[in-house]
Amino acid sequence: MTERTKAGGSTIIRYLDVVKRYGAFTALRGVSLDVHAGEVVCLIGPSGSGKSTLLRCTNGLETIDGGDIEFEGTRLARDDRGLRAMRQRMGMVFQNFELFPHLTALQNVAEGPRTVLRMPLDEAERRALAMLDKVGLADKAPNYPSALSGGQQQRVAIARALAMQPDVMLFDEPTSALDPETIGEVLNVMKALAEEGMTMVVVTHEMTFARRVGDWIAVFDAGRIVEQGPPRQIFDAPTTERTRDFLGHLGWTG
Amino acid sequence: MTLDWSVVWQHRDALAQGTATTFLLTVATMAIAVPCGIVVAVLRLYGWSPLRSLATAYVELFRNLPLILVVYWAFYVLPILTGLGLSPLATGLAALSLNVTAYNAETFRAGINSIRRGQVEAAMALGMTRLQALRRVVVPQALRRVLPVLASTWVSLFKDTSLVSVIAVTELAYVSMQIRAQTFRVLEMLTAMAALYWLLGYPQAKIVDWIQRRWSVTE
Repeated sequence: MTERTKAGGSTIIRYLDVVKRYGAFTALRGVSLDVHAGEVVCLIGPSGSGKSTLLRCTNGLETIDGGDIEFEGTRLARDDRGLRAMRQRMGMVFQNFELFPHLTALQNVAEGPRTVLRMPLDEAERRALAMLDKVGLADKAPNYPSALSGGQQQRVAIARALAMQPDVMLFDEPTSALDPETIGEVLNVMKALAEEGMTMVVVTHEMTFARRVGDWIAVFDAGRIVEQGPPRQIFDAPTTERTRDFLGHLGWTG
Repeated sequence: MTLDWSVVWQHRDALAQGTATTFLLTVATMAIAVPCGIVVAVLRLYGWSPLRSLATAYVELFRNLPLILVVYWAFYVLPILTGLGLSPLATGLAALSLNVTAYNAETFRAGINSIRRGQVEAAMALGMTRLQALRRVVVPQALRRVLPVLASTWVSLFKDTSLVSVIAVTELAYVSMQIRAQTFRVLEMLTAMAALYWLLGYPQAKIVDWIQRRWSVTE
């Protein structure tokens, strides 16, 4: 393995031989990976290779059947109360945004601080507005999600996750449901976040983003990590046939 | 054949009384059947398993019986079962409530089920409890989605209250039939009854349309 530039930071998430089964189907066959503070780790690979599953195991939306996940040095909680405490420190962004359609953009972002952190309404809304401003959508605060473009909805979803002031952000194919012309605005917000030093785990098919913004790339295939390393290694000098294959199918020429 | 429409005007007080009772039955039935419907739906979805089966059995029974049969059944069986001498109005209200509660329960259950799993996941990812997710995210959306269905149920119920006339509840249909029997003005009274139901029902149907436009949540 080549040098890992930000490996000096403490390990925030450690996946140890993680196994996940759905009935007879094994989605993860022993995945081990470290995520350090301030790093952007991109999970790439073909559909159904287990990268989204690993992300969903990280905050306990899926339970694991083997191995371990450590978050900030402690084993991922198995009980509801412990899980909730961990989820508060991990922001998650979904492929389909999953904004709450009955709430305005501002209310969506304020919902976590209000309900989970029990913050007073005016304080929660002040924080929400600051987060919307951060993703460039302060002027859309009173709009309902249905009045926003896909890219804008996803930026609101990022603001909603940031409003909980998480230590880590998890992105599950954040641009896969977007029109091509709105992908850029979402990636720009993510890039800005990375430059601020946010620790991020990103499941993505955006190879340009992974190469430019990613610090560490893990290539998935059939429930395993077939190769991991810095983007230069993965994209310019992949060491496994499977990585070359996958990138070749994407038409990736480096 | 000569028609004598004055019979309608002569009996205006009785007809007004009947109309008032019809409205009372509709409002009272819904006032009972909405909260009970929510309870039955939540029991079917999240209840302890014997309660879940009971709720399912209740819904499947009353949804599949003709309402008029339930009305007769309530009239003859309820007094024996409860030992209470219920008035026709109370009996009619019980029969209608049993029926509409079953329908509302299905409406609420479908509404709750129609909310994508991802919505609950998004709420839980913020750190909410399951109950908070239900209260803050699922139920508010489900209520908006089922409001148009509830409004349609209301309009059907308004007309179906006429079925309790068979047990002598003095609502609009019963009163009209009584006047018909006393005056032999069959055509006049049936026409008057039709006109009254339609004139009262049409605006309600229009309000339903308005509710559907006003409250639908677009994604």
